[in-house]
Amino acid sequence: MTSDEDISSMFSSESQKLKNLFDTTDSNFDMNIHEIIETYYHVMNVSSMATMLKQQAHSESKDLMNKIQETEKLISERFDSVIHPKIMEKLSTSIQELAQNLQSRNSTNKSKEETENDAKLFDELREKMSTKEFVEQYANGLSDD
Amino acid sequence: MIEELAKNLVELKKEFAQIYNGKSQIQEVIPKSPSELFSINKSHLELLHQFVSSNPIYYNSFEQRIDSIDCVVYEGDINKYWLNSIQHGSSKAPFSPTWMMSSYIAALFSKELGYSEVIDIGSGDGRIAYCAKILDMESYSIEIDDMLVDLQNTLASTLDFHPFCSDAVCFDYSSLHLSKPIFFIGGLAQMGGVSLASGVLKSIQSLSNLKNKTGWVFAGTLSKKYTPDPKNQAGWGTLIEENNLKYIRSISLPAAWTFRESDDVQYIFAESN
Repeated sequence: MTSDEDISSMFSSESQKLKNLFDTTDSNFDMNIHEIIETYYHVMNVSSMATMLKQQAHSESKDLMNKIQETEKLISERFDSVIHPKIMEKLSTSIQELAQNLQSRNSTNKSKEETENDAKLFDELREKMSTKEFVEQYANGLSDD
Repeated sequence: MIEELAKNLVELKKEFAQIYNGKSQIQEVIPKSPSELFSINKSHLELLHQFVSSNPIYYNSFEQRIDSIDCVVYEGDINKYWLNSIQHGSSKAPFSPTWMMSSYIAALFSKELGYSEVIDIGSGDGRIAYCAKILDMESYSIEIDDMLVDLQNTLASTLDFHPFCSDAVCFDYSSLHLSKPIFFIGGLAQMGGVSLASGVLKSIQSLSNLKNKTGWVFAGTLSKKYTPDPKNQAGWGTLIEENNLKYIRSISLPAAWTFRESDDVQYIFAESN
């Protein structure tokens, strides 16, 4: 059976991982799509865990309550206000540039190889657009709160 | 005969999907000549090849024997049309063509049902309307995306399938003087197809001479990737019931987007009740 201490320890560990992830993001903003998705999933997992623990925590678990508040502040001040808008901006710019680049290419008289190489760029564009949709869903969740 | 043709095409596609090792975005096959499994008028088959050969969405072709059938494989790319449609927001469902052979079989079935005109709504490159024309039916091709209509105009020189650049919901169908039409609705129910079909149905039901003698063909899917309709019919059951249409039958046929899928497109044929 999981004790309150185990839960508190697990939550502390996940919060620390999140903080480390934010530190890494701050120092290198060129995240690939996999890293972006991973970051959002981590934020959502820790947020859900905090919400659930707040409902379940006994009033005497002051350490845990403090840790929850600290983590929620970390997500709100560092992720929601800084990292998330930066990711949105980067994705939007990247999608716009890639779309313009693809549109400006001469589409007539392309060789088979050129067509199939360009198709990879179109796939990249679709992937970035899907990621932006995913990130926008997070933003919609914030505005619903 | 038409059912057999459809079944044989689905089998041919399955075999082709297993052996195809190219990298093209879209690909399709057309039998090189009539055979026991593909008993098609030779001149019709030539016209199918002609449409694809002169269509700039295809950039390569080669001959290949697939499951004992000599075929021509066509490789294509529709990315620039996709990019245009998303940038201008002109279309709810991006262009993704059905196979040429599928268009021909669906048009054959429409003719067998006794319809005299085919109106292809959300027609992409106009291939269904073109196939109807091969079968001596009158045809009209309505597409909202101007880049696709430009493409259709280059392809309509062989057989004029009457491309129109228009929003099909606002189109004046009385101007076509239709007598016994069948409407093909492009786009899955779950991808804007219901709203498109509802708009066109409303227009046609307001025309007293067409209200009770119009056929409808809806492109549906049984794929679990899409939300099913509570009344089934590959996503179209509710619309069919709400508009008092009578289900005739469905035919499964390959399209570009079902190439790697186990389920092909379900073409649902219905008529006014």
